[in-house]
Amino acid sequence: MREEQTRSVSAVPSVSEARLESVLGTAVDGIVVMDDRARILLFNKACETLFGYTTEEVRGRNVKVLMPAEYAHAHDGYLNNYLETGEKRIIGIGREVRGMHRDGTEFPIELSVGEAATPEGRQFIGIIRDLRQRKAVERRLAEAQAQLVNVTRISALDEMGAAIAHELNQPLTAIMLYLQAAKRKVGDDHRDEKLIEIVDKGVREAERASQIIQRMRRFVEKRDPERRSVNVARLVNECLDLVTMGTDCSNIEIVNSVVDNLPDIAVDPVQIQQILINLIRNALDAVRQAPVKRVGVSAAVSGGDMLIRISDSGGGVPPEVVPTLFRAFSGAKKGGLGLGLTISRSIAQNHGGDLAVEPNGGEGGAAFVLRLPVDTPTREGQAAGPPGRKG
Amino acid sequence: MTIHIVEDDPGVGDSLALLLGEIGHEVEVYPDAESFFENAPPGPQDILIVDLGLPGLSGVQLIRWVARLAAPPRVIAITGQSRRAIAELFGDDLQPVLLRKPLTEEALVALL
Repeated sequence: MREEQTRSVSAVPSVSEARLESVLGTAVDGIVVMDDRARILLFNKACETLFGYTTEEVRGRNVKVLMPAEYAHAHDGYLNNYLETGEKRIIGIGREVRGMHRDGTEFPIELSVGEAATPEGRQFIGIIRDLRQRKAVERRLAEAQAQLVNVTRISALDEMGAAIAHELNQPLTAIMLYLQAAKRKVGDDHRDEKLIEIVDKGVREAERASQIIQRMRRFVEKRDPERRSVNVARLVNECLDLVTMGTDCSNIEIVNSVVDNLPDIAVDPVQIQQILINLIRNALDAVRQAPVKRVGVSAAVSGGDMLIRISDSGGGVPPEVVPTLFRAFSGAKKGGLGLGLTISRSIAQNHGGDLAVEPNGGEGGAAFVLRLPVDTPTREGQAAGPPGRKG
Repeated sequence: MTIHIVEDDPGVGDSLALLLGEIGHEVEVYPDAESFFENAPPGPQDILIVDLGLPGLSGVQLIRWVARLAAPPRVIAITGQSRRAIAELFGDDLQPVLLRKPLTEEALVALL
């Protein structure tokens, strides 16, 4: 880097040096060059901003000045070890470490180090990328996921209540009607007072159970569903982000063909996200052991409805399972109550939509189709509707 | 007068038929809308009890179809879903008489 030498090599030294200067000056990443005794030779503009020192202040000083204490202590050892053994710990690899600003603030950086042999000896070039923003994004995503899990849990409780109420209603209705029929039969004959009394007691107990269900249902229905205009592509993207962040799906091809210009849907976004995440997770699980690992998400408008389709290349749904697939507690999956699909369908139906399965969908495995009403300009008026219509 | 019951849950369909039969009505039960259509359409003196959560052709579609008959029967919809969800299913033009499950004899007889 000595000026005389540069000049002697190049015919137009000023141009090449100016070019280097401008490259270093405009680089977004911090660039530091040090010699084999860790002395700073070069410190670019981005570094000045990152670390709070001017080039003049740090030139010739040990590079440790840019590190928190624990790295600074070890650095001499690292450098000597490399110079003696040639064993590369960071050169050509790069890793996440922490830097220290002049004011003592530590911050995460990604450091990659290269080496160059020069007439003045070995020099090391460090490229420093500020990770604070990326860390902040990662933290926001993690927070969003935690929040979603939380909301999901609360709303799953609601939905589970609704789903169970619905499932219990059928046999309970049958029990009550049978008992009432039996009571009429014995009552007509005027034969057995004791039997009538027993049947009466049975009816009362069945009514008690039905009141519990009605209370449970009232509790669940008390909450007015939130309906907002939601962009489908954005909703799907968020779901894919949330699902893929928490699980290893690097070897699974996820094909998202949801286009941006679809009409909005009128839904409670958290609840619909819950359905989509559930379906996408199921799809990912289904293809994990499959020879072809592909999961597809698409959306299209049909009639007044939006059809969101999640398909996978897994084993499909066995025909004998299809009739009870959406029933509560019928799931064959290990480690679950088998409520996921029951709840998902219940949410979809509460939105005026539905959830259906194609046991052998397009990707070769199963496909689940979530149908939701498209947002219409008159929705506000309808939602406000006549009071008699609100149960 | 015949009471036609379209209900996919065999327990509910059978018990309903049994009770209404016990009360003295003539009753027909169909497991889905499709098998209901295979028979002669109901007359104006008949009553049609429809479960809204039918497989295949939905209860809502069945009720819409029946409402367009020249002399439609009386229709009672039975469902476990909330009134609000039902209201959204039908829209403003058509709101059938609605009974929520679990059904009681009292509520049912009051509508017959």
